Amino acid sequence: MTSTLNPKKPVLKMDNVCKNFGGVIAADKIALELYGGEIFGLIGPNGAGKTTLLNLITGIYQSDDGEMFLLDKNITKVPTHRRARLGIARTFQHPRLLNRCDIKTNILMGSDLANKRKIKGGKLEEDMNMLLKCAGLQNVNLSDSIEKLSYGQQKMLEIVRALLCEPAVLLLDEPAAGLNTKEMDYIVALIKVAVQKDIAVLLIEHAMDLVMGICDRLTVLNFGHQIATGTPTEIQSNEEVIKAYLGGSCNVKS
Amino acid sequence: MKERFKSIRLTNVVIVAAIFLLCMLIPSQTSSYMLRVLNIAMITYLCVLSVYVLLGMCGQNSFAQAGLWGIGAYITANVVMKLGYSSITAFIISVIGTALFTFVIGFAFFRLRMYYFTFATVGLMTILNGLFMNWKEATGGALGISNIPEFRVGGFVANTETSKYFVILATVVLISLSLKFLFHSPLGRSFMAIRDNEIAANCLGINSLLTKSIAFAISGALCGAAGALYAFLSGYLSYQSFTYQQSTMYLIMIMLGGTISPVGAVIGTLIISLLQEWVRPLQNYMQLIYGAGIMILMIVQPEGILGGGKVIYDKYIKPKKTSTKNG
Ligand SMILES: Nc1ncnc2c1ncn2[C@@H]1O[C@H](COP(=O)(O)OP(=O)(O)OP(=O)(O)O)[C@@H](O)[C@H]1O
Ligand SMILES: [Mg+2]
Repeated sequence: MTSTLNPKKPVLKMDNVCKNFGGVIAADKIALELYGGEIFGLIGPNGAGKTTLLNLITGIYQSDDGEMFLLDKNITKVPTHRRARLGIARTFQHPRLLNRCDIKTNILMGSDLANKRKIKGGKLEEDMNMLLKCAGLQNVNLSDSIEKLSYGQQKMLEIVRALLCEPAVLLLDEPAAGLNTKEMDYIVALIKVAVQKDIAVLLIEHAMDLVMGICDRLTVLNFGHQIATGTPTEIQSNEEVIKAYLGGSCNVKS
Repeated sequence: MKERFKSIRLTNVVIVAAIFLLCMLIPSQTSSYMLRVLNIAMITYLCVLSVYVLLGMCGQNSFAQAGLWGIGAYITANVVMKLGYSSITAFIISVIGTALFTFVIGFAFFRLRMYYFTFATVGLMTILNGLFMNWKEATGGALGISNIPEFRVGGFVANTETSKYFVILATVVLISLSLKFLFHSPLGRSFMAIRDNEIAANCLGINSLLTKSIAFAISGALCGAAGALYAFLSGYLSYQSFTYQQSTMYLIMIMLGGTISPVGAVIGTLIISLLQEWVRPLQNYMQLIYGAGIMILMIVQPEGILGGGKVIYDKYIKPKKTSTKNG
């Protein structure tokens, strides 16, 4: 489904999307276009509205204004579970796994969705082992409970689960936060798999080396406002960005 | 690795064989009074199992299960006595009827967030009990319904305590096995996803309202089956059986046994059902004993007896892992 897409056509399109929490502007006229096989970065200081944007895309929050399209379908009013079935997968800033279930069940949640979407899973075992290997989880016991996994492994498992949904769009909320460099390599490997599958990846991340290293394009948010969008080189030389974020007074969490 | 797998298989076979033998021997070794206690316990177990599906798997708590049990029982009584249908048909209509009723109610109630569903079920229980007491045409009102014919299929009539025992046992075993399939199915997983993390579940394509309603409907089907069996077993139905207190009892049983697996429902039901018989002289203090017992248990071991057993197993008995390859 995703692989036959015309590369010129955006997979996800946001148009003029706004969200306001009792006076706090968390999303201010956001306009984005994500393309299949592209890694799109989303950076900005704490409280800039990055997570809010993911919640708007997944439908956990309703936008106050504006429209969103997934593969030409208007999803602005579509509930969360239907958006997931249309091909939006995500991870969370703090992993949201099924804590009372074993690792296998957590993984199967992803392939269950792929099956519901009638996307031929077929070689689930093969796919799963490949992804687990990329995530450095090939040696875990699948019947263990989630608590046996480290924080980093839990974040990895969440990405594996999201990839098994065979999504068109993958939204990653700070996947590398709190991880060591080795674990970061696993994250990069998983993102590369997503790109190979022609998935549009939206990556929220504070680790600048990572973002500037792998993103094709990125956008900078500040107080819910998109202050700049462009390639890493363009962003790094954008004065407004430097003032607001990169070299300015705002504290960059690493 | 393979050898360990084999040995686990073997112990399983031995355990199942032993339980089977025990179940076969029980009728010849116990008084008919004790057999009646066991029959009621098995029916109660189905209701506790319904709590397992709804609370243990899906994380939603209902105080209306005894009411659903009543619906199943009254449907069977009416279908057999007024319509003259066969026992099996009555059983099936009870199961489906209760499930449909529960599904519709669930679809309305689960629009409520958080624990408000539980509040609503308290109301439902009260209304159902009132209905059972006052709807003379269908429930016989305060007098109840008596002389419900025995369960019969073909030439077989379950008119002795022992034959009733086997009918109930067979139903209970069949239902328990099908729950095992549910547990490992995508539907079962979606229940557990809702229980553990509703937002993550939604983001994995799971419709909260529909999934919770289905879980409630399945729990209703279990209560419906229990109700049908109860109508055949006792031959007499009174609104006084289907009370709020009875619903609470199911919750106490599953809390005692543990909500992590259906085995918890078995343990909890057996212990409390037998306890009620053995300490009859202390009956006046039963509520006190349950109350205190549950409070202590929740503090010491919130996962119930089964959870406590699992902790001990993991700590002392479980073989230390050597290879950890995708076992
Ligand atoms: N459910 C909510 N109710 C009220 N305000 C909210 C809600 N969610 C987010 N906000 C507000 O919206 C703003 C953006 O928050 P958001 O979590 O999106 O920031 P973020 O960019 O993800 O920050 P961080 O880097 O710390 O994760 C904040 O001011 C926050 O307080
Ligand atoms: Mg955030």
